[in-house]
Amino acid sequence: MKVSFNELQSLSWKAFIGLGFSDGQASDAADMLCWMESFGLDGVKTLKDALEQYSLEHPYSPPDILYKDTDVTVLDAHNASVLACSHLPLELAFTQARARGFSVLKIRHCRQRQLVMGYLARLANRGINVTAFWRNSQTPLTEQVVGFRASSSVPSIRIYAVSELPDENKDNTDITVVMANHVDLLPTMRSEYEYDLLARHDESDLLEVRSKTEREGIAVDASLWEQLQGLAKLTLVASTSSSRLGAGPAD
Amino acid sequence: MELPRLGAFSSSRLSFARSLIRKMARQRWQVTQTRFDLNADGYGEVIYRIQTPQARYHVVIFSRYLDDAQRSDRVIAEAWDLTFGLVEGDVEDDLMMSLSENVPLQEAGRQHPNLLVISRANRSVRNFSSFVEQLSQGRQPAESLLKTAGYLYRTTAVYGNGKFGIADFARLKDNPDFRQPFSAQMTAVYVLRQFSIDQVEHIARNKSPDAVPLSDDLKRYVGIGNSTGLGMAPFLINHPLLINQWVHMRETALSLAKQEAADEEAQQRLLDLMRRAIQSLQECDIENDDQRLKNEDVVSELSMAAIWLDQVSAEADLWLQLTDWAEAAFTLETQELINTLLIEIYPDHTDGLEDYMAAEESLDLVPDMPLIQLKQLIETYLDWALQVDLTSSDERYWFWYRSIEKEEPRLGIRGVDEGEEKELSIAIGPRVQRIHATLDAHLQQDPAALTIDFLMANQRDSDIVRRIQTMAGSAYGEIRANLWHREMKPMHLLRTKLSFLGAQRFDPKGDRWVRVTFFQGAPLIAELNAEPVDLVDFDDWSFALAPQRPRR
Repeated sequence: MKVSFNELQSLSWKAFIGLGFSDGQASDAADMLCWMESFGLDGVKTLKDALEQYSLEHPYSPPDILYKDTDVTVLDAHNASVLACSHLPLELAFTQARARGFSVLKIRHCRQRQLVMGYLARLANRGINVTAFWRNSQTPLTEQVVGFRASSSVPSIRIYAVSELPDENKDNTDITVVMANHVDLLPTMRSEYEYDLLARHDESDLLEVRSKTEREGIAVDASLWEQLQGLAKLTLVASTSSSRLGAGPAD
Repeated sequence: MELPRLGAFSSSRLSFARSLIRKMARQRWQVTQTRFDLNADGYGEVIYRIQTPQARYHVVIFSRYLDDAQRSDRVIAEAWDLTFGLVEGDVEDDLMMSLSENVPLQEAGRQHPNLLVISRANRSVRNFSSFVEQLSQGRQPAESLLKTAGYLYRTTAVYGNGKFGIADFARLKDNPDFRQPFSAQMTAVYVLRQFSIDQVEHIARNKSPDAVPLSDDLKRYVGIGNSTGLGMAPFLINHPLLINQWVHMRETALSLAKQEAADEEAQQRLLDLMRRAIQSLQECDIENDDQRLKNEDVVSELSMAAIWLDQVSAEADLWLQLTDWAEAAFTLETQELINTLLIEIYPDHTDGLEDYMAAEESLDLVPDMPLIQLKQLIETYLDWALQVDLTSSDERYWFWYRSIEKEEPRLGIRGVDEGEEKELSIAIGPRVQRIHATLDAHLQQDPAALTIDFLMANQRDSDIVRRIQTMAGSAYGEIRANLWHREMKPMHLLRTKLSFLGAQRFDPKGDRWVRVTFFQGAPLIAELNAEPVDLVDFDDWSFALAPQRPRR
């Protein structure tokens, strides 16, 4: 089925509230999702994975700070989705980069990491250069690098497979974000190791996709939509004869 | 701005209905009927084409039989006398099929992305049947019918911006025809008004060979009604930057008008408008007792002002004298009506502002703002929120929630009604007060803290913090009222938005819903299609007056 951005944003916001997110978390998560989808970057598909992370019995808890100084922060998100755990740590890294020119944020044990792009776009728009890197440990090992030029909300993305596995390749669910005031942090492929470029999205490609999705709407799996509607319903209050008094005239 | 003042606003020449008609005339929009498949009872499908200098659109209307027992203005209704939509581009057969399957279902349908607007409307049963009856008998209906309800149809919701699958407003941001907020919705409603006239004439013709068309002056006096409930209220809270922009433009127009040195021509123009407004209000038959009394006060006070204005000379500071007097002695509704009329007489100042009624609606965090500065912002710009005594039961009386019935916003009594744990964050004031106390405690521990330090420790407060940081720089975005208070009138919220849309003749039904009329007195589509030469005269349709004519 096709839905509009406003519908996706509105319904996913309500669904996140239904899951126990705060208003701010929910709106950030909905924005991240819609941003991804507007550029054809599978935000909805990733959301489906994210929903498997949550249940009402296990509400989200904030990440723990493992290390923090004026330039570097390391957090443990306890396998939370970046939809829930990343927006304030990213604001912290932004603050540090703004103050000191450069910052590094590492979030350990987080999921659906590609969705972080939706929030990085917001930060880049404020005039900071941003790059994020994460690695999947499946075979072949894949790495993803996404870079935003300062004041641009459209990224450059590279996804590549590394054919020579490093010695250390245990389960990796971390994400590393680097921000800088005055240094471009766009991905360039100059590794001495052998790699295969799996996907490359440049600004112009992404803008074209966005224009198309604006015209045609967003394709959403009907069962996911129902799932979101079910979660959104958790925010609603059953109707009674007295509450209906506020519902306007019977005419 | 205080809620009662916002709730006293009248529509003005900056309102979207007015600016739309001006634009249509200026740009020579043409509206033509391209399909009229109605049976003798008026049921079927009708399409109107709108040709602008840029593009072509269509308003597609589905008129279906509705049992009287099903006719309801509630948003929870599931069937209506008619449903309609504004389509971008042409309506090919496959699109028409999709529209006919889904538009009549409204919220329950999956709407096509070529639709910019969908809506539905119910007949004013009394007016509709009287009009058909009278016209079919070769007589004009009594204009008094339109003094009681100024329309043949009233809409109950007009959806835009991506609702139920239609096009997002973002898609219109580069569309010169509809990039102004609510201009697509107003266009659809304006064309619906023509349909209502075409349909009654059609039914009357089929009823009798003696039928006559509706006279032009009565056609002009036909508007489109609208019935609005609490569902509109959250919009005012959820779009603070947009509301700020609307009020800011209105206040700018007023400020420019008040700075003008009055001359005799402007004085006479204002006097004429005052007299017209007085007559228009006197002609409205308002059911709601409170509103009727308010209108009587306005008529009385405006009459006094008109007598004064007729007697004084056109001194340079005449408008300041008038508004100072109004502020000291008149009700809020009269004050705001006088403001509206002052805006009206200086179109050169006002009409350019209509291009600035949109806003980028992004509430952005400033994480590196020192926390002490955030505290100062609250104490400086949101001091009204800190003055509320939240230990008082009256101040905490209402809570807002969303009902499972079509997700409609409703009000519950705290401690009495169910649903408090699912309360909506509509009331900004109490949240500001709470966060002020929390950050005060944080500052005791860490006086040099930044906003982000506070938020890392209070992660659930990020939305209210960024709202405070963004809105502190705006004069009008936050409504200075505790929306939990027992005496809070949701009607004020509804009227604020409706006045900017261009609604006239407010007739509240209690505190939580209101009937209004759009486009009463507006030029007809035939007049638009005739490409008017005098655009000033074409635009002069505020405060509609009943036709004064001998009836056949």
